Amino acid sequence: MQVSKAKTSKPKPSDADSKPPEEERDHLALIADMTREFGAANDYKAVAHTALERITKYVGAEAASLFLLSDSGDNLVCVACYGPVDITGLSIPAATGVVGRCVISRKGLLVRDVSTDGDFGAAVDAKTGFTTRSLLVAPLAIGKECLGAIEIINRIGGDGLFSEEELMLLETLARAAALAINNFRLTHKIVQQERDRHELELAAEIQRDLLPQPSTRDFPIHGINIPARAVSGDFFDIMTLPDGRIWFNIADVSGKGMNAALLMAKTSSLFRCLAKSAEHPGQLLNAINNELCETNSHGMFVTMVGGLFDPALGLVRLTNAGHEPPLLFDARTERFTAIPADAPPLGIAQDIAGPDGFPVRELYLAGGTLYVFTDGLTEATTFGGGMLGIDGVRALIRDHADQSPDLRLKSIAGAVKLPGQSLRDDLTLLVVEDMAIAPIGAKAPAASLETPADEQILRIRVPARADRLKLIRAATEQAARFCEAPEPWMFDLKMAVDEACQNIVRHAYKGREDAGDIVIDFVRRGGALEVDIMDFADPVDPDTIRSRDVSEVRPGGLGVHLIKSVCDEAKFLPPPPGVGNLFKLTKRLPSKVN
Amino acid sequence: MSYEVKNMNGAAVVALTGDVDLQTSPAVRQKLLESLEQYKRIIVDLSAVNYIDSSGVASLVEAFQVSRKKGSTFSLASVSSAAMRVLSLARLDKVFTIHPSVEAALAAQG
Repeated sequence: MQVSKAKTSKPKPSDADSKPPEEERDHLALIADMTREFGAANDYKAVAHTALERITKYVGAEAASLFLLSDSGDNLVCVACYGPVDITGLSIPAATGVVGRCVISRKGLLVRDVSTDGDFGAAVDAKTGFTTRSLLVAPLAIGKECLGAIEIINRIGGDGLFSEEELMLLETLARAAALAINNFRLTHKIVQQERDRHELELAAEIQRDLLPQPSTRDFPIHGINIPARAVSGDFFDIMTLPDGRIWFNIADVSGKGMNAALLMAKTSSLFRCLAKSAEHPGQLLNAINNELCETNSHGMFVTMVGGLFDPALGLVRLTNAGHEPPLLFDARTERFTAIPADAPPLGIAQDIAGPDGFPVRELYLAGGTLYVFTDGLTEATTFGGGMLGIDGVRALIRDHADQSPDLRLKSIAGAVKLPGQSLRDDLTLLVVEDMAIAPIGAKAPAASLETPADEQILRIRVPARADRLKLIRAATEQAARFCEAPEPWMFDLKMAVDEACQNIVRHAYKGREDAGDIVIDFVRRGGALEVDIMDFADPVDPDTIRSRDVSEVRPGGLGVHLIKSVCDEAKFLPPPPGVGNLFKLTKRLPSKVN
Repeated sequence: MSYEVKNMNGAAVVALTGDVDLQTSPAVRQKLLESLEQYKRIIVDLSAVNYIDSSGVASLVEAFQVSRKKGSTFSLASVSSAAMRVLSLARLDKVFTIHPSVEAALAAQG
């Protein structure tokens, strides 16, 4: 203890008990005043300074200070003081000193001579030049919590000794101060939460703007996104290219909340940007993967289905990177085909695909509908309380198949999203519709001077009946004429297509009255006309359809021989999902005589 | 597709017109077999056939086989280029008796 520079008298702890009665002071009036001031305060620090001054003068002491525990709870920080030395901002370790003992015990302390108190730390006095002799400390307690403490230093009036009565007074005032500080903190917290909520709303609004506008009725792709929280880790996008083909994607970022939403924003921007120059979804998703891997995403990853839809062909080229398998549904046969993932989720490992990117699957919708969704749908809770599951999803798709796409999306989502309740996970659902038969020649690029490498000439879809074969022949003639093929060439192709379709009518559909359809695509590719002939019957074993030995004169079995005689190539190919059989004819176009 | 059966000098001249395909060949087959019941000589006029498919060709083959069993004569006449293309692809141009015209067929059968 240093020699006092203060002009105060030395305390006499020994005669504390014989202290004469103080002059009558109005404790109640002070308590009432200060409680009111604390209660009305917007900023407790300003009130605290005045309060400390008043209590110091009221008790007749030299100085007072208010310490609060820091957010971490490690330190006690002086937030307000009154006296000859300003120690505002002073920080001491929370578990030390008389103030620390008070905060830990949540009990008021009366120290008449700090020199006899083992807890008193003289470091502050050494720093400030102030000499502490006696202390009165009261905790700022709220229930079981203690926010800090108020201390009054060096009684100067009367006998120079703090009394138990003064400790009780300080404790009462400290309780009022603690309430005011707590109220202030709560209010501050609510204001901060409100500010955060507003920020979140702005983020959600920006995020909604990243989703495409609702599609018009006649557009083949429709989507819906329902976030479980304000912001979503799911997204989908639809983007039409100048040539009429449409990019689409659906993705699910691992995790929920703001970090997932930010990664979602990044991934959707990458999709939009890179899709403009990508040739196919395998290449695109590979590029997105490499970009995502380049920057650290803190262990987060993205599952994605990316597709390029050609409405004129009803052809979807699709890459599934670790995502829930999309379902192709044919309403006529009620048959589902699941498209499994061929690539890992994006953002996990860089440069894992070759120059062609991730694997791409080709699906002819052939009158069917493709459903792509996130696990927010399969894992959604149903009205019954269980998880919807993939069977539940299939049942919903079947039940709502006859609705318009827009309504169907709402019906399916509405089956798992109860009004007024939030979802467990973000839910996103996309449908790709085959808009029936595309307008003839809709995709023929009229403005092109060069012959395109891959040109859709015509697609027809007809019931597989004998009385439609004449129409098929007429269409074949027109497709050949469009390619400026000479008459004999045209006749041979017409015969081959007719024979192939005849086989479908007779063998694949077994001549049934209620037979399904035949879809024929005429595509000019690399100097040949390719004719894809598809049916929706049970798969035919190609070995059962053989070319007959022409030396044997008997009816029947002639068709395949005729086809093979006039085509450069005629073969069954693995049918795309939803298609029963795919028979491909290729006939080289004669080179033009110059 | 339409067909017409004429009696010419005791022979049945069956004239086919239009497309003979899966839709129409059953009727053609029926008519040929009926004619084989009634006539010993059958001439099929294919001059107005725009198209004939394997089922149409099969009907001709069947009628040809029945005529052989019965000891009747069966020939094709005035075969259009479209029909000839299919017959030659099927190598049936060497199987059938083919005459340049109905008149030539009648003269040959007479």
